[in-house]
Amino acid sequence: MSLKSKALGGLLLAGCASLYGCAGQHGEAALQQAGSDFQKVKEDSNVLRIAPKDVIRAGESLARADRLSTYWGSGSDVVHYAYLSQRYSEIAREHTNLVLNEERAAKLELERQRLQLALRESKLLSVQQQGKWLEEQIVALATTQTDRGLVMTLGDVLFDTGEAELKNSANRVVLKIVQFLQLNPKRVVRIEGYTDSTGGKQENLKLSRDRAQAVADVLMDLGIEDKRIQVEGYGDEYPVDVNASERGRAQNRRVEIVFSDEKGQLGAAR
Amino acid sequence: MSIRPLFAAMAVLALAGCANDPAPNEQMRLTEQAITQAKAVGATADEMPEMKLAEDKFNRAKGNMTDESFKNARMRAEQAELDARLAEAKVLTQKSEEQLNVLNTRIIRLRKQLGDAQ
Repeated sequence: MSLKSKALGGLLLAGCASLYGCAGQHGEAALQQAGSDFQKVKEDSNVLRIAPKDVIRAGESLARADRLSTYWGSGSDVVHYAYLSQRYSEIAREHTNLVLNEERAAKLELERQRLQLALRESKLLSVQQQGKWLEEQIVALATTQTDRGLVMTLGDVLFDTGEAELKNSANRVVLKIVQFLQLNPKRVVRIEGYTDSTGGKQENLKLSRDRAQAVADVLMDLGIEDKRIQVEGYGDEYPVDVNASERGRAQNRRVEIVFSDEKGQLGAAR
Repeated sequence: MSIRPLFAAMAVLALAGCANDPAPNEQMRLTEQAITQAKAVGATADEMPEMKLAEDKFNRAKGNMTDESFKNARMRAEQAELDARLAEAKVLTQKSEEQLNVLNTRIIRLRKQLGDAQ
C-alpha cells in the first residue's frame, strides 16, 4: 500500500508540476506583456487625466493576475486576468485618443468659424468695392420659375474653359445665394453641373460634377450646412442651346441651382 | 481507519464546492449589453477583429452556460465584454479622426480662398 501510494503520489506530483510548468510559462509571458502595457498608460499624463478609471481597472486586474501567479495550478486564471488588464489598458488608450481628437476638433471648429467669418467679410468687401450691388438685382431676375421649381443659372463666365474652379467674379452671385438660403433656412438646393458637347462623355460628366461641387464647396465654406446641398453632374445632357455654334456651347456650359420650396421639398432630379 | 474515507470524501466535496462557480448571469447580461452598444456605434465583426473575438467568446460562454460550466462561462463573458468595449472605443476614435480630417480639409480650403480673395 505504502509503495503503491507513494508511486501514485509521485506521479500525481509530476503531473501537476508539468501542468504548472506549461501554464506557468504562458502565464508569465502574458503577465509581462500586461505589465508593460500598464506601465505605458500609467506614465502617460493624458491617459491619466482622461481615462483614470480604466487605468485603475487595468492595475487591479494586473495585481490579481500577479497574485494568482504565486499559486499552484492557476495558470489559466493568470492568463485571464492579464488579458483583462491588457484590454483595460488598450481601452484607456482609445478613450484618451478619442477625447484628444475631440479637443482638437473643438479648436479646429473655432478656427473654421473664424476663417469663415473672415472669408464672408472679404467677399462682401470685394463686392462692395466693385460697386455692383445693383447687379445683384439682375441676378435675382435671372432666376426662373420652371417645372423643376425655382432655377438659377450660373453661366460659363464663372468658370474658365475646362476648369472647375470658380472664378472670383462669381462672388456676388454666390453671396446672393448664401444670403437667400440664410433668410430661408428650410430651403435646400440641388446644384446641377452641365457642359457643352466638346470632349468625351466621361470627362464631361466629371467636369460637370466638379463644377457643381465647386459651387457647393463655396456655399459650405460660407456657412450653408452640407445637408442642404445636393450635387449632380449631367455632362452634356439637357443642352439649352445648339452645340453647333460657339455662342450655343457657351450657353450650355453652366451650373444650375434648383431651389426647393419653402418647406424644403425639392423637385425630383433629372 | 473507517473514518478516514469519510474525511477524504468531505475534502473532495469541499474542493468540488470551491471549483463550482455560481452561474454568472449578471456578467452575461453585461456582456450582451456591451456587444449591443458596440454594434450600435457601428462596430462589425468584419471590420473589427475585437468585435469578432467578442461575439465568438460570448457564443462560447452561452454554450458553457448550458453545460453549467460556469467558470468558463464567466471568464469568456468577461473577456468578451472588454473585447466589445475596445471595439466600440476604436470605432469612436476612428470616427473622430474622420471628423478631424473633414475639418482640416475645410480649413485648408478656406485658407486658400482667403489667400485668393486678398
